[in-house]
Amino acid sequence: MSITDTIVPDRKVKLNRNDLIQKFAALAGLVILVFVFSLTSDSFLTTSNGVTLALQTTSIAFLGFGATCVIITGGIDLSVGSVLALAGVVAGMAVKEGMPVTLAMALGIVSGGACGLINGVVITRMKLPPFIATLGMMMVARGVALQITGARPVSGLGDAFGELGNGSLLRVVEEGANGFPKVVFPGIPYPVIVMIVLALVLAVVLMKTTFGRHLYAVGSNEEAARLSGVNVVRIKIGAYVVSGLLAGLCGCVLMSRLVTAQPNEGVAYELDAIASAVIGGTSLVGGIGTISGTVIGAFIIGILRNGLNMNGVSSFIQMITIGLVIIFTVWIDQMRNRR
Amino acid sequence: MPTNNFAQVHETAFSKTGAAEQPDDEWILTAKGVTKRFPGVLALDNVHLDLRRGEVHALCGENGAGKSTLMKVISGLYQADEGEVVYKGEVRHFQSIQDAQAAGITIIHQELNLVPHLTVAENIYLAREPKKGFFIDKKKMEADAQVYLDRLKVNVKSSDLVLSLSVARQQMVEIAKALSLNAEVLIMDEPTSSLTESEIDRLFEIIQELKTQGVGIIYISHRLDELRRIVDRVTVMRDGRYVSTRNLSDITVDDIVAAMVGRSLEDKFPERTSTPTDEEIFAVHDLRRDGVFENVGFTLRRGEILGFAGLMGAGRTEVARAIFGADPKSHGTVTLGGRELAIHSPVDAIEAGIAYLSEDRKMNGLAVMMSVKANITMANINAVSNRWGMINNSAERDAAQHFVNILNIKTPSINQIAKNLSGGNQQKVVIGKWLFRDSRVLFFDEPTRGIDVGAKFAIYQLLDKLARDGIGVILITSELPEILGMTDRVVVFHEGEVTGILETRKTSQEEIMQYASGVKRMSC
Repeated sequence: MSITDTIVPDRKVKLNRNDLIQKFAALAGLVILVFVFSLTSDSFLTTSNGVTLALQTTSIAFLGFGATCVIITGGIDLSVGSVLALAGVVAGMAVKEGMPVTLAMALGIVSGGACGLINGVVITRMKLPPFIATLGMMMVARGVALQITGARPVSGLGDAFGELGNGSLLRVVEEGANGFPKVVFPGIPYPVIVMIVLALVLAVVLMKTTFGRHLYAVGSNEEAARLSGVNVVRIKIGAYVVSGLLAGLCGCVLMSRLVTAQPNEGVAYELDAIASAVIGGTSLVGGIGTISGTVIGAFIIGILRNGLNMNGVSSFIQMITIGLVIIFTVWIDQMRNRR
Repeated sequence: MPTNNFAQVHETAFSKTGAAEQPDDEWILTAKGVTKRFPGVLALDNVHLDLRRGEVHALCGENGAGKSTLMKVISGLYQADEGEVVYKGEVRHFQSIQDAQAAGITIIHQELNLVPHLTVAENIYLAREPKKGFFIDKKKMEADAQVYLDRLKVNVKSSDLVLSLSVARQQMVEIAKALSLNAEVLIMDEPTSSLTESEIDRLFEIIQELKTQGVGIIYISHRLDELRRIVDRVTVMRDGRYVSTRNLSDITVDDIVAAMVGRSLEDKFPERTSTPTDEEIFAVHDLRRDGVFENVGFTLRRGEILGFAGLMGAGRTEVARAIFGADPKSHGTVTLGGRELAIHSPVDAIEAGIAYLSEDRKMNGLAVMMSVKANITMANINAVSNRWGMINNSAERDAAQHFVNILNIKTPSINQIAKNLSGGNQQKVVIGKWLFRDSRVLFFDEPTRGIDVGAKFAIYQLLDKLARDGIGVILITSELPEILGMTDRVVVFHEGEVTGILETRKTSQEEIMQYASGVKRMSC
């Protein structure tokens, strides 16, 4: 399945011109970026940079997928940057306590899911606006991560902990003539594989399952969904749990790459996540959004960072550029809706 | 120039070429051949309207006739696709309400457009606040606003918060705002719908006063009886088209109704083919929601259409929502097919076979950004999914297509998003949703509001067919002709209580109104 054919459910048949503009504006933007950067930098369009870029994009994508689910319901999740830090720290500390790595990471992911569950319950049962509920969780989760670690990185986690973030599939290494190993093919990093699998699974969930359909229904018209017998509370909580679980996974992957659990990791990542979803056509009003769009959005941000870096553009200019891209793409989205 | 005899249809300003070019023309506003399209709907089709200075011109038509759309074109909210608006002798294309307001055209909407948390003065001068240097000159603003309020003789202080005012007073604030804008054309959309008798009297005095000042007033109202008191001429619209313009003194209310309906009342409703049996399929006893309604009870028999009549706010919708589990109830039993139901949420009601088609489709009934297909299957998605929650695409498509066919829903495809359908077809989509769910009792809350006459007829036929098929149909409607034309019995509500249950054949519009206003009540 190519990433371009996962359009909003049921709209494949009758895509109108404006939808196509939006869909292809993002994709065309991506292609143009690749084209421009490959002209300005020789090392941009190489296998090893491609792998690096995909790896860098995974964390945005993981969080972006969660953001997509939440935003489709008309909500927002600001807590994911902190939740990923908490999840990674939990996983790291569990390993320190002697827990096997797989189990420890599962624990980390579950703790992320628990944060999402709390978000969902606070939003649906205490009826707080999602912005406030997840803003609170953003601070609480960060605080817990710093408190339990004493604000110190948890290191000495062993090679096994680094496997998920640093290992790759199909890596081909030859011994060179000089005796040093020569990397023929850098392999596909595990996080990239996880990202591809997750993208496919979530795209199917959104398009083909009742849960996915209900996410759209709740975001499109909550009262209509409720009166149709949709369990709105459960659907919303589900969306935040998915977001929390993905943040937990993202935390484990990031900490694994560093082989250190950093309680300060992931600050402001929630903004990248929301940006990737929005660039990919997810509407903050709710009811509209796709995983394929978010993948494109995540890669646009990833490629901008990577390409601008390679061209020696300062990180300040990068921020300016990405900010402008967000404004521009949402403006296109507004144009589409204004008819 | 036109003569003074306007009894003849079409003999008005728009038919006289060149009339608009004279600056001292008595015509202040002329709309010629205005056409406005929305996706799937032709809202206005070559409509005409003209207005003199110092005239009250009534615009009449049924719901969905296009009155509000025409007013929105004139006041700049919508732009016409074809035709033009001539204002004070010039062709104008207002791009926004502000644009039209600046030129002197002000509209007072049925739903008032005031900001509740600001004061009366702040509302009147919103976006054009008098300034003293950088700051708002609050003193001047409140004093100026008070002048207009006093002119209207309303007992409101300009420093009061709008949210503390009654709806009637808010309406007066809107009129004060229009005065402060030096409106030369004032459009009033159903201004009396929420006013008491004495407030209406006061409003009419104000209208008379504005007339003498040369303000042209376009007056939209469903209360035809009150037109006689203030209106000079009447333009009737039907199904988005212009019908006629007449001097009110030349015609009767019946003439207006005939022009609005376009056919006699008998033809508006299909012949009923279902007959009530003695079998009781649904019953509600002693239903109460504290502070909202109490002591509500009724039964529904197989083959019967039961009407809920009553004035706005009588509690009909609230009762239906409580039965459906969408709102809480304090007490009462609901019995379906002889079995007592415990309903705590819409999910319980839907499981039991009760459906509620809400009065505001776009707010509560339809996910407008989703497809026809997704809307039809929304309440019963599990029927087209496997146990893992995977939707079976072809089963879903077949189900949706089936209901599109049998309900004759006009849509280019089942994948069309619901927003692009006309009101009548949207209503059919919602009906399809509940039929797919195998509902046994359907509450229809104002099912024909805002849809055109032809589509209404189709909905009525559908109600009859459902009743014939043994499905319980409860029709909640504010339109008494609908009660008389479609129901077998009618439950009349007054301020949260059932005041009467009447046999439709043996009752009249007047008798229902007596029960609805609490003048008469059944002993029970």
